[in-house]
Amino acid sequence: MASAMDTPPGVVLPPPITERGGVGWAYANLFSTWYNTVLTFIYAALLGVALWFGLSWIVLEADWKVIATLGGRLIIGQYNTEFACPGQNCFWRPQASLLLVSVLLGMAWAVSRDKAAKRIAIGVAAITVVFAFLPYSMDQMGLDVRLLLAANVPAVAAGWVLARHTPLGTVRWIVMLGVLFFLVILVLIGGVPGVPGLQPVSTIYWGGLMLNLLLAVTGITLSLPIGIALALGRRSSLPLVKLLCVVFIEVMRGMPLITLLFMSQVLVPLAFPQDFSTNSLFRAGIILTLFSSAYMAENIRGGLQALHPGQVEAARALGLAGWQTTVLISLPQAIRNVIPAIVGQFISLFKDTLLVYIIGMLDVVEFSRAFIQGNAEYLASARELFLFLALVFWIFTYTMSYVSRRVEVHLRVGQR
Amino acid sequence: MIMIEALRGFTYYKGVPLWRHALVIQWALQIISGVIVVVLVTTFFTNITNTIQDREIPHGFSFLSREYQTPIGQHFLPYESSDSFLYAFGVAATNTIIVSVVGVILATALGIVVGVARISGNWLVSRTSLIYIEVFRNVPLLVQLFFWFYVVLALPPVRQGYVIADKIYINNGGISLPWPSASNWNAAWVWLAVVLASLIAAMVLHRALTQRETLTGRASYPLVTGIVIAVAIAVAGWLFVSAAFGDAPFAISDPAPQGTFGRIAGGFTISGGLMALLAGLVIYTSSFIAEIVRAGIQSVGRGQTEAARSLGLAPMAALRHVTFPQALRVIIPPLISQCLNLTKNSSLAGAIGYSDLANVAKTMTQTAPAVSIYVLLAAAYLAMSLTYSLIGNIYNRSIRLVGN
Repeated sequence: MASAMDTPPGVVLPPPITERGGVGWAYANLFSTWYNTVLTFIYAALLGVALWFGLSWIVLEADWKVIATLGGRLIIGQYNTEFACPGQNCFWRPQASLLLVSVLLGMAWAVSRDKAAKRIAIGVAAITVVFAFLPYSMDQMGLDVRLLLAANVPAVAAGWVLARHTPLGTVRWIVMLGVLFFLVILVLIGGVPGVPGLQPVSTIYWGGLMLNLLLAVTGITLSLPIGIALALGRRSSLPLVKLLCVVFIEVMRGMPLITLLFMSQVLVPLAFPQDFSTNSLFRAGIILTLFSSAYMAENIRGGLQALHPGQVEAARALGLAGWQTTVLISLPQAIRNVIPAIVGQFISLFKDTLLVYIIGMLDVVEFSRAFIQGNAEYLASARELFLFLALVFWIFTYTMSYVSRRVEVHLRVGQR
Repeated sequence: MIMIEALRGFTYYKGVPLWRHALVIQWALQIISGVIVVVLVTTFFTNITNTIQDREIPHGFSFLSREYQTPIGQHFLPYESSDSFLYAFGVAATNTIIVSVVGVILATALGIVVGVARISGNWLVSRTSLIYIEVFRNVPLLVQLFFWFYVVLALPPVRQGYVIADKIYINNGGISLPWPSASNWNAAWVWLAVVLASLIAAMVLHRALTQRETLTGRASYPLVTGIVIAVAIAVAGWLFVSAAFGDAPFAISDPAPQGTFGRIAGGFTISGGLMALLAGLVIYTSSFIAEIVRAGIQSVGRGQTEAARSLGLAPMAALRHVTFPQALRVIIPPLISQCLNLTKNSSLAGAIGYSDLANVAKTMTQTAPAVSIYVLLAAAYLAMSLTYSLIGNIYNRSIRLVGN
């Protein structure tokens, strides 16, 4: 107290050293009580040991050659092999598809008010440029492949210019172009019979990360509308519609996806007439979409339930018809409230695309596993390969949840 | 009956065309959707039955009593290749149930620890939890399973395996632990019954003492007393049973290398596949549970924690007695769905060589009618889901808010 007395009136002293700057932060966050201090030291020691061993393994012991050996095959699987695409080089087709995606990202960057789109667009461009300069020999990675990779930078720029300086720069146009590009990509990768350079590639050779992304994008775009329909059906006052929706949702949610996929392999061909043939990829896409839409329906139902009944009543009182109330009032608010859950479902759909291994599709993980099984000399580097795949998937899923957080900020969820 | 009710509500308004009447629209919608579903279902069924007859695909359930004649990897129930399909199905279901129960317990415990650490005031602790959650939640389970599987495979072979205190053997075949084995089954059952009785007695006592503590405010130490009583009865029962049967009910069987190849016998061996499966499932699910626990605890109003702290409760005591019980109401429903997810995700076991229900069923379709096996499989998973939901709902009811 004595020092307080000594201070002349009107002079404001800075807070003590223990309450400001780095020291103050450490006191508040690391050493606030005796057990926090103990915890801090134990954690620091454990983290130190873990980091030491982890880093020394990654740098010194791990053999990352397997990833270089697999290279582009991780992205496209068997797509460019001799039996998939005989007598031709088909590598440019997935690469051209990536260019279309880059154009869309550039457009999104120009239109979006948020930094997220810009960061993602620049990130994709940067990564592709890095890939273009990978230290492979020209025999392993030709000039055409490198140029097409580097072309993603002008593609992003072209998209940006297109959106800024032409009437295409609206969200509506971007969505329409997105759908159009998706169909173009399907045609590009699937090929057109009789067109030189675009010879058909059977879907059994579609693979790698490309397959995961195609399945995920299809599933995501289709499962949201189906999920909304199911959610509305489950809340419907019509008993028959409600019953059908409940049965569908609960059956889909009660079974493991892997079982449903395998069932689709055996039962679906039986259920259709024999001349009506369906391929594995098509079936996998349908099952993934239906499975995901059942979960989506439950998320959206949660959002609808959380909505205050006054909203619907007010809308009806203003004279809106039933369908107008649903489409214009209930659904937008309900969906906005459950964006994290919906994106969470998108992420798990993306993670679930790995399960197509059960019906013999070679997605990136199954392709890697088959490669390890087939080449015993790489068995010892299996851990490195799967660690790398974990990183790849983590980047995709983390980007998705990052976008979802930004969307939430812009819609100001939780601030009303 | 419904039809008559519906017609009673039907009033004809002048000027409104019939097709715009709400009741007409509703009924039309229902009839149309019903017809579509019925047509689809009957088409599929006739197609399936036709194909089965045309191609002479075997069907029906008579295969269940036939011999399965296929080995099952690790199994917890005794199993021979000469056992029937039905029994093999049961063995596989037991495999899944054991993974599911053990996984749920471990994942919940780990998830609660990580979730509580996530909201710790200690920056280092909460950051570590955040990284744990973000890493394991965002990487597909299958990738994690393969990673753990190849970690286990990278362990040294049996003869160069790690040995801890001559009792625990760790090698690429799995991990072998000392395990109690019944030396005399009669004695073992009697003793297990005694243990069950002691647990019930302890629970009754715990409840009574807690009630006394709440009513009178006198410290009655319900937890300590309960544990002491349970242990005391169990030990007394052990001594009594040993004396009565002339043999201890259980003996610890130690694993030991045997024969020229040094194969580990005795004790209990958790196979490499099961180890990788449990590691992957528990870590993956716990990262989801941690987020649920964090959200649940944060959903309890700040005032609750502050009030508990101002009443003099230590931070941990405030969490245990005030915050957590209230958070449980928010935590339980999503926790149940995570437990269900873990059970369903255990069907990935086939990818790393553990014979779970889905994997065995898949193998069975090679020698038995696929349609019948899928019916059984669907029923089994549905039964498991319902059981979890039932247990969860009963627990949920016991902790719900009691009306004032």
